[in-house]
Parts: sequence; C-alpha cells; structure tokens
Amino acid sequence: MKKRLLAAAVLAIAGTALTHTAIADEKWDAIEAEAKGQTVYFNAWGGSENINGYIEWASAEVKKRYDVNVELVKITDAGEVVKRIKTEKEAGRNTGGSVDMMWVNGENFRALKTNGLLFGPWAESLPSWQYVDTKKPVRKDFSETTDGLEAPWGTAQLTFIADKNTVAEPPRSAMELLEFATDNPGRVSYPKPPNFHGTTFLKQLLSELIETPALLAEPVDADSFAEVSKPLWEYLDKLHPVAWREGKAFPANNAEMHQKLADGELKLSLTFNPNEGANLVAKEQLPPSAYSFGFTKGTIGNVHFVAIPFNAKAKQGAQVFANFLLSPEAQVRKADITIWGDPSVLDAEKLTKEQQAVFNKRAPGGLSEAVLTLSEPHATWVEALEAEWLKRYGSQ
Amino acid sequence: MAETLRQPVSSIALTPANKPKTETSKISVARLLAIAGVCLTLLPIVPGLLWVLWPAFNMDVWHALVTDGQFARALISTLSSAIGSTLLSLMAASLIAIWLYPGKGWALAQRQLPIFLAFPHIAFAIGIAFLIAPSGWLARGLANLLEWSSPPQWVSIRDPYAISLTITMAIKETWFLLWIMATLLGEQAISRQITLANSLGYSRRQVWISALLPQLLPRMGWPLVAVLAYSLSVVDMAVILGPSTPPTLAVISWQWLTDPDAMTQAKGSAAALCLMILLGLLIVLARALWWWIKRLYRDPTGIRKPGRIFKTRAVSGIPVFIPGWLALAILVLWSVAGGWFFPNLWPNSLSLKSWNSADFGPMLTALWIGMATVMISLPLTLAWLEWGSRKHHGWLYAPLILPSLPIAAAQYHVLLHLNLDSTAIGVIWSHLTWTFPYMVLVLVGPYYNFDNRYLCTAQALGHSHLNACLRIKWPMLMKPILAAMSVGFAVSVAQYLPTLFSGGGRFATVTTEAVALSAGSNRRVLAVQSILQTALPLCAFMLAILLTAWYSRNRQGLK
Repeated sequence: MKKRLLAAAVLAIAGTALTHTAIADEKWDAIEAEAKGQTVYFNAWGGSENINGYIEWASAEVKKRYDVNVELVKITDAGEVVKRIKTEKEAGRNTGGSVDMMWVNGENFRALKTNGLLFGPWAESLPSWQYVDTKKPVRKDFSETTDGLEAPWGTAQLTFIADKNTVAEPPRSAMELLEFATDNPGRVSYPKPPNFHGTTFLKQLLSELIETPALLAEPVDADSFAEVSKPLWEYLDKLHPVAWREGKAFPANNAEMHQKLADGELKLSLTFNPNEGANLVAKEQLPPSAYSFGFTKGTIGNVHFVAIPFNAKAKQGAQVFANFLLSPEAQVRKADITIWGDPSVLDAEKLTKEQQAVFNKRAPGGLSEAVLTLSEPHATWVEALEAEWLKRYGSQ
Repeated sequence: MAETLRQPVSSIALTPANKPKTETSKISVARLLAIAGVCLTLLPIVPGLLWVLWPAFNMDVWHALVTDGQFARALISTLSSAIGSTLLSLMAASLIAIWLYPGKGWALAQRQLPIFLAFPHIAFAIGIAFLIAPSGWLARGLANLLEWSSPPQWVSIRDPYAISLTITMAIKETWFLLWIMATLLGEQAISRQITLANSLGYSRRQVWISALLPQLLPRMGWPLVAVLAYSLSVVDMAVILGPSTPPTLAVISWQWLTDPDAMTQAKGSAAALCLMILLGLLIVLARALWWWIKRLYRDPTGIRKPGRIFKTRAVSGIPVFIPGWLALAILVLWSVAGGWFFPNLWPNSLSLKSWNSADFGPMLTALWIGMATVMISLPLTLAWLEWGSRKHHGWLYAPLILPSLPIAAAQYHVLLHLNLDSTAIGVIWSHLTWTFPYMVLVLVGPYYNFDNRYLCTAQALGHSHLNACLRIKWPMLMKPILAAMSVGFAVSVAQYLPTLFSGGGRFATVTTEAVALSAGSNRRVLAVQSILQTALPLCAFMLAILLTAWYSRNRQGLK
C-alpha cells in the first residue's frame, strides 16, 4: 500500500513536472511561431569588427533556423538609445518602437528599469536559460536585480595590457600603479570619465582605496560621499601630475589607449575583455610582445545583457534571438578567441568536452592568469563618481 | 545682406540691369509651389525646435549652465576656434586668390578644389590626426632623425587652446571659400573688370584691393556665416582634434542633450541656445566691422600704382593643398597597412585585407539617400530662386546657421509624431533641411546676377515664364546648377546626426559608419571608411565638372 502510494505520488509529481515543461514548451513554440518573419532591430555598440562579425553570423543563423531577420543598428553609446526609448514613451509611442533589442548593462539598465521602459520578465523562461551559470552574477546588474528583464550575454573583467619589451614587471595594485606612473612620467593614463572604461578604472581604484568596501554594494549616500570617496581623489591628485599630458587631457576611450600602447605613447592600456589583448595582437594592432594582466587582489568584473524595450515591435523575434545568443553553440563561438573571445555566462559543466575546450583556449596577448573578480559597485556610484570627477578634473 | 548683393560697391562695376521682374497680374501657381516646398521642408522644424529648446527658458537652467565648472573654459575655446578659423580661412582664401588669380596657378588650384571640397570634415580631421599626433608621421620622421624610441610628449592634438582644431578647420574652410570665390570670379561681369581695370593702368594688387574684394566680400557674407556657424557648432571634428578638459561648447551641449537626466538635458538646450546667441552677436560685430572698413576706404584716389609684372607658374597652385594631399596619403597608406608600429615610417607589410573585408553597404545607402535628396532639392531650389521671395530669403539659411544638434532632435520629434521616424522618407526629409539651403546658397549668387534681359527677350518672343527658364535661363546656368547639385549631394552624404536621429539608427551610411568605427581602434578600417566617405562626394564633384565641360564644349560664354 505504502509503495503504491509512493508510486502514485511520484507519478503525480512527475506528471505536474511534465505538464509544466509541456506548458513552457508550448508557450515557447508559440513565441517561435509568432517570431517567424519578424525583423529585430538590435541596437549594439558597433565599434569592433570582431563583435560586428559575430553578430552577423548569429543573425544569419537565426534567419536560417527560425526565419527571424536581425538588423544590427550600430551605436556609439547605449545612453543615446535609452534616451530615444524615453522620448518615444513621452511621445506616446507605446507600440512599434524603433528598438527591438539592445545590448545594455549598469546605469543604462537601471535607467530603463526605473523608468518602466522594459518588456518582461522574459529572460528566465528562455529554453537556453537552463545552461546559464547562476553562480555568476547573472541576476544582478551593478547590484540592481534584473528581475528577468534582461538576459545575460557575456561576462567581462577589467584587465590591463602592457608590452613585455617596455614593462617587464607590471604594477599589481593601485599603489604599485602610482609608483609605476611616478617612475614613468607621462606614460600612464585612463579614458576620460564618463567613458565606460574610465569610470570602471575609478571604481577599481576606489574599491581598493575605500576604507569600508561594503559601502560600495549599497546605493551611494549623498551626505557621506565626499568623505567616503576622499582617498580616491587624493590618489588621483598624486597620479595626475605624473600621468600622460600631466592629467590635463585623457584618451577618449580604451581603443585610443590601445593605439597609444602600440605607438609606445602609453605603457599601459585597459580593457573589459580578458581576450581583447590576444585579439589585438592577432590583428596586428598590438605588437606580439603585448600581454594582459590583473591586480593581485582582483579586478572589477560584471555581466553584460540584452534587453527588450516595452514598445518593441518584434518582441517574439527578439526573444528567439536572445535565446539563440544564450545557446551553448553561440556562446562557445563567442568565447572563441579567434572569433570574439568574450567569456561565456554558461556553466561549463553543462557543456560537452569539446565545447569546454574552447573556453580554455589561450592565445598570446590574452589574459593567461587567474584573476579574482570583484563585484561592481551599485549603479548609483557611477553617476556620483562621474559628476565629482568632472567637477574636479573636467576643466583645467 | 540681399541689398548689398545688388549694390555695386566699385565704381567700375559692370553689373547688368538686374531688377527683379514684377508680376503683379497674377500670383502664379509656380510661386505658390515655391513657397509650399519651403514650408514643407523647413516649417515643421519650428514646433520641434520649440520643444527641444523649451527647457532652456528657465533661469535655474541658465544658472546651472553658467556655474558649471566647464562652461567658462568651453566658451573661450569655442569662441577662439570659431572666430580664429573663420578669420584665418578668409584671410588665406583672399591671399591665395590675390596671389593666383588670374593665372595658371589658379586654374591648377581650381582643378584640385573638388577633391578637397569633397574631403569630408571627419575624414580630413582623422587624416590630420594621423599626421601630427605624437605618434603621427611627423613625429615618426623626427624620431628616425633624432633616434627617439618612443613618441614625444608634445601636445599637438586636443591641445587646451584648441589650436590644432582651429588650424585644421581653417584649412578645410579655406578650400570652401576659395571655391565660393571661384564661382563668383567665374562670372563674366567680374572677370571683365580685371581686363578693364588693367587697361586703365591699375596694377593687379590694386584691382584686387579696390575693385574685386569690395565686391566679393559682401557677396561672400552668407558663406562666411555658414563657416562661422559650422565652426561654432561642430561636434565631430572637435571630438577628434579639440580640447577635452573641457571640450568645446558644442560637444558639451551634444553630450548633455543625449543624457537621460532631465536637468542635464535642459542644460544642453541652454548651451545650444547659447551657441545661437553667440552667432548672432558675432554676425552683428562683423557687420559693424565691415561698415567701418568700408568707410575707411571710401574714396579711391585714382592714382595708378603700376607694380611689377606678376606671373605665377602653374605649380604655385599646389602648396594650397599640401595638408590635404598629405592627409589623403596617410589615410590611403593606413588602409593598406599591415603591422605598423612607432617609429617606423612605413608599414611592415602592405595588404588589401582591410579592403577585401570592407563593408560597401553603407556607401550604397549613402548614395541612394543622397541622390534622392538632391533630386527633390533641385526643383525646390530652382522654384524658390525663380518665384520665391527675394526679400524674405535670409531665414532660409536658418538651418545652416543654427547648431545642427537641436535641429536634428527637433526633426526627430516631428517625425515621431507623424509616425515617420525610422523610414527612408523621414531620413530624406531630414537631409533636405540642409541640402536645400546649401543648394540655394551656392546658386543664389550666379542666379541673381543672371542677366534677366535674356529671359525678357525669350518672353517677348512668346515663351511662357517656365518655358523661358527651361529653354534659356537654366541651361545658361548649367554650371552653377551642377555645382549646387554636387554640393547638395556632399552635404547629404556628410549628415551624421539627422541620419542617426531620423533614421532611428537603421540607415548606416559611410558617415555614421566612420563615426561608429572611430570609437574602435582599428586605424585601417577607419581609414577605409574615411576613404569611402571621401569617394562619394568626390565622384559627384567630378561628374559635375565633366558634365559642365561636356555641356559647354561648343559654347564659349558658358565656360
């Protein structure tokens, strides 16, 4: 009797589980069916041919498999797209918006979320979600919960690049960096905030210099900000006089820093993609003697996402495309350093041996050491740091 | 300014009878059409502009703007680069014209002009940066001589005083002004004056200073305002060459206007308005200065200063364009370079890899958008010049003298409400706002100076007004009309902000592509797109010249 009850219970549980998956499958089938023939305008930063090439490949694949057309809209700053969606909302354009999907994270995601500009939740009901490594911070974007409003696409970690011929022993902490800059006057710099990489550099310094790092996980407190961030400004006041152009000018972005590193005008560059150094060497944009490194106590890392605006025209098509981008096949290809080299958000253990092997591929120029990942400060720190930086160093 | 156009300053001017025809009998359909066309292209921007600039009408916003730490320095570098580049380019263009016209050097310079007119500002700025940056060609040359191993720490681009920006803009605008001068000098009335004045015993220099310049300069008023407005509100060039701590006012305004925060946006609106006010003040100032100069040199003495016989050789037409040729050369070299590191003067290897993998889609998009825009602008331009109001002409140039950013934002807002954003119609319409006034600007001088007795004669012989234009007037003005078309095309190709805003980013042209790529680091791909961006307008200018030559092959007076 007991056994029979147990069996019935097991059957019942299995049954509900089955119907659950069946319902989910059905729902997804419906989405796929609706997506057929839709055109997805995917707004993404268009400054790298590797990334553009990868997106082109993915577009061709979803066209072939799901009959979804993806048009890449190359943008220079995601903030502009946020503004456009906001303007559309203000003008009463609640359907048929110009953006179907966008590449986003951090303060731009926060702006979209708090202004109610996003469609969803949808991300965690994607079939590919099962492969996602939920131990990675895929549910938090700069300490802001994602709530299924955006699907993870890749991970990033602040990584420095130098040239073996000029820098044999790289600096391994904020303090060592200052010493390094003092020894090499005029050869160290960072992109001018509010450039994304420049702001990340500030956050990296702050996370090392701040007295109570726990504060960074909280929204910034306007009253104590001056006191809490003081060590950072004191540090920069010492760094700038020995920096490139005496800290009176800064490179516009990290791409310009790579160029200056190649030219020998700077001795260090930085990137958010641990494999970018390898990519640049392969494309002869950096000499073969270039290498990547991190700080001993770790560097800031985060996840970047794709989101669907509330007024997107092709919401189903966008989900199908996002699901494909999150599939093991697409993620493995993305992680391949000869293609793009963007680290995956998937759990390697859920993948095949061959697929895992791609993740472990290394190439000269890329990051070959294990560097601890520090989490991003809360999104509100970005604005506070940028505003204060501009006030102090924006005009000199 | 229209009055001065028709006031011969010099006593020896041979201006033909040029009274506008009065057609009191009927307000023709053509006239209505001319006005309707203008209304369609320009009027809708007014409500959009109001919407964009509205946040600026608030004292708190102005207070925030003025107290912003970046404002004062940005204002100074904006003023110095705008005034400096406008004055420098005017001086350079005048000196070059005095030195070379008439002569073989002038002819050679004119043959090169189209290339450098077509050279887009962004591509030219990128080329100049490749040349003078601390790791540029210049430094590499010195490094090889002086055995430097790393680039010098000189401040050659993005200098805090915007000197490199000023000079680069001045060079670029010199070509534009030279071309305007060439169009004006090409008119029969003016070129005959030199012969006349020479035969009266005046030297070349005297002819220029007392007869030609006083006629040319007033007629160059609007082109000069366009140059000034452009240099005040330029964003792309200032990002590449201008200072960064702080940037120029236009760049700050652009950054603020695209910020999601409402207060920052309002500050951007105020900064944009500030640029317009500056422009207004500078125009008033320049007019006053001109009035004063005219008073100073009012009475010609009649004394002939023979001066030496001045013969320039053809080669003297070349130095004018050296910076341009060098910039072009380094762009071409980067587009075919393999690995190329400091201090090598030459790439380690040459390859066509960048060209083979180049994307030509943006070029085709720019091509059809530009062609469609010109094809719509041309009838509008001709209708306006023939039947539109001569008095109420100045406001047509508003888009040229206002910063393009608020206008592009205004257009976008209008399109959004009409449900036409992200469509081809929307993009073409947004380009018309600039191509139409530019085409009018290029054509207005030759058009109003056309000897209307031809038209009178044709009408007296029984042709209708339209028919007389079609058969007599427009064919005789073929050269400036073709020039205007090529300028219109070049203007359309170069549009960045309107293409981006109105097209919802969906129309990738060579220009949007070049700017998007300039955020990346591959100089090779950037060089390829810059060259493609240059090639399109260049082909248009070449075509205009070839067509003119073919058309006037057996008509001496049209050459």
